[in-house]
Amino acid sequence: MSTDLSPAPIPASEDEETTAAKVGRYLATHPHLVLGAVLIVLILITGAVEPNYLSVGGLRNSALFAVPIGIMAAGQTMLMLTGGIDLSIAMIATGAAYVAADQSPNSSVIAILAALAVGFLAGAANGVGVGVFKVNPLIMTLAMSVILLGLFTSWAQTIFFGSTTMSDFIRTLGGGSIFGGRLPWAVVIWAAVAVVVIYILRRTGFGRNLYAIGDNAVATRLSGTRSWQVLIAVYILAGICGAIAGILLGGRVGAVDLQLAQSFLLPSVAAAVIGGTSIFGGVGTYTGTILGALILGVLQSLLTFINAGTAVQQMIYGLIIIGLSWLYSRITALQ
Amino acid sequence: MTTSTETLLPDTAVGARRWISRHGWTFGVWLLFFILIFLYSLQIPRFGAFQVTSIVNNGSPWVYLAVGEAIIVIAGGIDLGVGGLLVLTNATAARLMEGQPFEVTIVIALGLLLAAALLNGFVGWIIHVSKVPDIVITLGSLYFYQGLALWVLPTRGGGTSEGFRWLFTGSTSGIGSNPWAAIVGISVIVLIAAWWMANTRTGLSLYAMGSNKNAAFLSGIRAGRIKILSYMVGGAFAALAGLVTTAIANSGNANAVGGNLTLNAVAAIVLGGVALTGGKGSLIAVVPAGLILFFLNPVLSAWGVDPAGAQVIQGVLIVVVMAVGGILEWRRSRR
Repeated sequence: MSTDLSPAPIPASEDEETTAAKVGRYLATHPHLVLGAVLIVLILITGAVEPNYLSVGGLRNSALFAVPIGIMAAGQTMLMLTGGIDLSIAMIATGAAYVAADQSPNSSVIAILAALAVGFLAGAANGVGVGVFKVNPLIMTLAMSVILLGLFTSWAQTIFFGSTTMSDFIRTLGGGSIFGGRLPWAVVIWAAVAVVVIYILRRTGFGRNLYAIGDNAVATRLSGTRSWQVLIAVYILAGICGAIAGILLGGRVGAVDLQLAQSFLLPSVAAAVIGGTSIFGGVGTYTGTILGALILGVLQSLLTFINAGTAVQQMIYGLIIIGLSWLYSRITALQ
Repeated sequence: MTTSTETLLPDTAVGARRWISRHGWTFGVWLLFFILIFLYSLQIPRFGAFQVTSIVNNGSPWVYLAVGEAIIVIAGGIDLGVGGLLVLTNATAARLMEGQPFEVTIVIALGLLLAAALLNGFVGWIIHVSKVPDIVITLGSLYFYQGLALWVLPTRGGGTSEGFRWLFTGSTSGIGSNPWAAIVGISVIVLIAAWWMANTRTGLSLYAMGSNKNAAFLSGIRAGRIKILSYMVGGAFAALAGLVTTAIANSGNANAVGGNLTLNAVAAIVLGGVALTGGKGSLIAVVPAGLILFFLNPVLSAWGVDPAGAQVIQGVLIVVVMAVGGILEWRRSRR
């Protein structure tokens, strides 16, 4: 921004504007089209590598991989809009899955409610730290992640020595399907989460407050918003998103351990970032994040099919994050 | 208003107050470090050179990594990739140095320092050119480094020369009672870096950039060069941490989780009083902060706290320190 001090180009008049410039401007105001195109191209490339992929079963696998990323990224998106982030969300998911497994012998309903309570409590603690005590979100949630790992490591041997496998109902939620194996339950739940999150962000005052805090925290406070309450609420929502992701992930795997969701932490941040949510707050949509999560899901399938080892997978993953975020910032800069 | 009251005070009082407000945090962290050492020495039956050596040797990679991250953060960035670069250097060094004589290992080490600086400088260049937030690009570079490390050294292994081990650990076997190699190494390197940051034109430009990028640019600082430079120096420090890890372990481990190492470094610089918003902080205070974070585990286990409990305490400590720091800052800004 600071280097761009050259005089602005003289704006071309309406009739002189080339088609390319028009397309560029249209894409700049509709960046999701570009993400959608990237997603389709990736699906087609994957289909070219492995023709069987272009079927219900193939796409279903990508979607299943994208579900936990997408639901955690819902939390990340809402937090990033306020200028925050949740590095504890994967550990919340793991903890919630642990509690759900422990309560599974009792009843699936109790198990799910207890798991959601884990997300609620951890999120509330994050929210109090960030909203009331003004601890930097990066540090607050990082510390929360360390605290939760410590607590669950010690509880795993004392309190939760019971069941570590999920009840049948939760397994169905995580890995089962409806319509003869075509539509996974997990995708249905993700869609429900998406509807709620998009409604919150676009139609409610609370959603507007999230954008406002991220855009200008001081102005928001001075205009009468009790920012600390909004922050506590949004961290709780993010914690609940983490818990839902944990239940579904645990249900898909069937059993839980303390590393269950950890590898999904950075992808959940990446999905929101690829989807165009600004990490500094105030800019972003959940629709973009969904596309980001789906891109990561398809990418995972592609990397599996080309038989890339972990090493190559990670390198490609890194390059994709850099490349897509660069592309996105170039496109929106044309606006 | 405050100036009129201050002129009434004797000079020494003003000087003392200024010293406290400038160096209070540095002093406090060093004090905390020595108190912890003192408590530790009371708790264990024998406390001598061996224990001191163990702390400074094994803590030194944490210190170097944190100092590297601190330089980048002071210049207004944040690098999630430093942990990955540590792992990459560790893996590459262990693979190349195995079975080589001392002179060759030194040449390899210097080459790796240079290569890491160039590689991370390239990351800084991408951030400057793309205008994508640092945290996003370096999330990508973290994956890339980690993948590259796995590609270089798929399984744990490799080695280094005895002389190289002595250089960083004070003994050719890596175990011993000679803390001076690590102490002298940390002191010399960090003092030079701290002097460079506080007294040279380039070093001060880093603070200026982190404090206010636009003001720095308008006063003639080349923003891009400084950004790239901060990432180069930070990368070299991360590589140094990786080399020390190689010397301590006498092997490379590409499966170490670089992301966790980065997060430890971020926690250390925050404890060391470096503002994550940039432009503020001292490298001198980061040294004890890095050592404290490493050293807390043995202290707590000497008190009979199990590792899981130690983790909880570590997390709570970070949050409390940040909350106290935030409250102090808030009170100071109100005065």
